[in-house]
Amino acid sequence: MRGAFIVNGARLEACFHSADTLLTLLRREGHTEVKEGCREGLCGACVVLLEGKLVNSCQVLAASTAGKHITTVSGIGSLHDPHPIQSALVEAGAVQCGFCSPGMVLAAYALLSANSNPGEDEIRQAIDGNFCRCTGYVKIVEAVKLAARRMRAHE
Amino acid sequence: MREIEWFFPESLDEVPPLLAKRGVIPHGGGTGILRVKALRGRSHGSGGGPEAGGVRGLIDLGRLPLRQFERLGDRVEIGPSLTFAEVAERFERDHILARALGGCASTPLRNRITIGGSVALFPAWSDLMGPLIALEADVSLIAAERGTFPLSRYVSEPGLRRGTLVTGVSFRDQAWSSFYYRDVRTRFDYSAFTVTILLKKGVGKVLDARIVVIGCKGKFRRLHELEEQVKGAPAGGAGALSYPPLSFTGKKFMSPEYLAHCARVELERGLEALLRE
Repeated sequence: MRGAFIVNGARLEACFHSADTLLTLLRREGHTEVKEGCREGLCGACVVLLEGKLVNSCQVLAASTAGKHITTVSGIGSLHDPHPIQSALVEAGAVQCGFCSPGMVLAAYALLSANSNPGEDEIRQAIDGNFCRCTGYVKIVEAVKLAARRMRAHE
Repeated sequence: MREIEWFFPESLDEVPPLLAKRGVIPHGGGTGILRVKALRGRSHGSGGGPEAGGVRGLIDLGRLPLRQFERLGDRVEIGPSLTFAEVAERFERDHILARALGGCASTPLRNRITIGGSVALFPAWSDLMGPLIALEADVSLIAAERGTFPLSRYVSEPGLRRGTLVTGVSFRDQAWSSFYYRDVRTRFDYSAFTVTILLKKGVGKVLDARIVVIGCKGKFRRLHELEEQVKGAPAGGAGALSYPPLSFTGKKFMSPEYLAHCARVELERGLEALLRE
């Protein structure tokens, strides 16, 4: 099959198998910032924003997303121009091995886009589909709170 | 390897002839489709062919008008393409559907799992079906069968599910006191069973009761005999109730007896909490 997608604001035309997942497609097209974890929809390493909604790309068939807007972590910040959430994760010591970080950033981004002042329960619910096997989540939650404060201050 | 054929209908009239084709099934965007062996084989890169699961074609429902959420009097109709997250946020926080759908799985999965897919596939760990059966919901169908049918009939009659597309789920949205329990080891786990209890209370006594267990033998059981005992019972406690035996199939690390005991305990806890409320 052939299809066109809007990935991080840029048009992407790609060939793919009819049963490929969005994860497979994105990684094959060079978007390796979308991490491949469990492929079962459990770990959250592969999450992307599909039309603004956080989804496990391993649980989405690529063919059903043709023409849609897909945002990976590269679409919201970069090494030289990080998003406040990315800066907050580093400053709070919430990045250890870093494998879950792209997913955590996107989960936090989805939350803060809808709720600029979330409570701890809301933060924990927002990242409930993202596993971290290093930090124990405390620093991650602190980082999301820090990012929320900074983003509100700049509003 | 044979490709799976995709169809992208733009009107509901285009769907029945597609569903009549051999091996063609609807895809609303949810995650159930990836449990189909053919697609699993492919998505894991093991080269499993589409013929393994008999799926030859997928009907993408994304362009069809199946995302309605309408209130007509006290009835609510939910479009099958709405996700768990979208439905949960449309109800008050203490509504049974907000409790059940807003707390299951994980945020990214709730953003994908659809109402229609969950009704049609009815997985044993469903967080949707207990509340819908308790609400005595109806399903609207097109294709091989056309019309509106009680959900309890739809899940019991394979003939209604074969070759049909769910186009809506509706129910009377009344003021119920509700209890919902999902038996999981961790929050995002598949539930071993769920308990749904709805009570409507008048002054000092119970006027109506609906009690459903999902995950037991036969997939679900509505406990009519317990409902009858609860109806007319004085509010205040669940002490004198006689609980019907529940049968379960054993699961990994959980014997049938253990599951039956746990379900009974949660039924007692739920009724106790609602009757004392």
